[in-house]
Amino acid sequence: MKESAKVLLVMIVGLAVLLPFASACPDGLETVAQNVGIGETGGFWHGLIPDYGIPAIENPYFSTLASGLVGISLVLIFTFLVGRVSTRKR
Amino acid sequence: MHIPDGFLDPYVCALTYIISAIFLVWAWRKMKATYPRAVVPLLAVSSAFVFVAQMLNFPIAYGTSGHLVGGTFLATLLGPPAAMLSMTIVLLIQAVFFADGGISTFGANVLNMAIVGALSFYIVKILSGSSKSRKRFVGSVFAASWLSVVLGALLCGLQIGVSPIFASAGGLLVTVPAMLFWHMIIGVGEAAITTSLISQLVRVQPAVLNGLAILGWDIR
Repeated sequence: MKESAKVLLVMIVGLAVLLPFASACPDGLETVAQNVGIGETGGFWHGLIPDYGIPAIENPYFSTLASGLVGISLVLIFTFLVGRVSTRKR
Repeated sequence: MHIPDGFLDPYVCALTYIISAIFLVWAWRKMKATYPRAVVPLLAVSSAFVFVAQMLNFPIAYGTSGHLVGGTFLATLLGPPAAMLSMTIVLLIQAVFFADGGISTFGANVLNMAIVGALSFYIVKILSGSSKSRKRFVGSVFAASWLSVVLGALLCGLQIGVSPIFASAGGLLVTVPAMLFWHMIIGVGEAAITTSLISQLVRVQPAVLNGLAILGWDIR
């Protein structure tokens, strides 16, 4: 458990440090779509935290970082719950 | 490689949902039968790591970027069933909360990244055989992670290529080569990151070796 907490802390620090260097360019699929003239299709679902930004935080860096922390927490909680019910007791 | 809503034909959506569901049922059963509860913290932390890594796009060329998918990383560390479930959860959180990847296309995204990524375990297995050499193991992980991205991109190219909105743009003949081109480059990043992660993990945390040995890579 202590180990996991340490690894998590390293990950969060890593995210905070590397985030300014992350590329905002379109990814492979987005480039392919753009090259044939297909933009964002504007689907029916826009998510609860669209584009990895918390609207209440104006600074784009902290906004994305905060959304990352929310995402990490959600993934942790969800994987933990699914892990508990999908594994053997011992 | 996260396909947004609106890119795929409803039939492609339905078919990929069914295929992914079959694999996930297999993964769930396999987990229930063979994975002890003690693995859960590792599972949760690994999923969180993949989520973080997928936020960090690295530039490729010509104004295009890529990011780690992490399928081979999870599969090598946790085995195919756990990798499938773990990656599916990451994709689910991304789709539901961040609208990164669509809801209707969720089955396709699970297939291209979670299922293909998890199955790349068997590519490592075939390439490394029962060899005890660490170098060969790391080399196999490199090849498998590159292939997992390229194969995922191939499936993605096929799925969008047969869908109507890409038909006027040339369909399969355009989407498949284009997806392959970009992801053959992005795959090198995937392979470099995955191999350095795994070899660093083995170096600083030798206990990982015991876990790897259970999965079939006895490189202690």
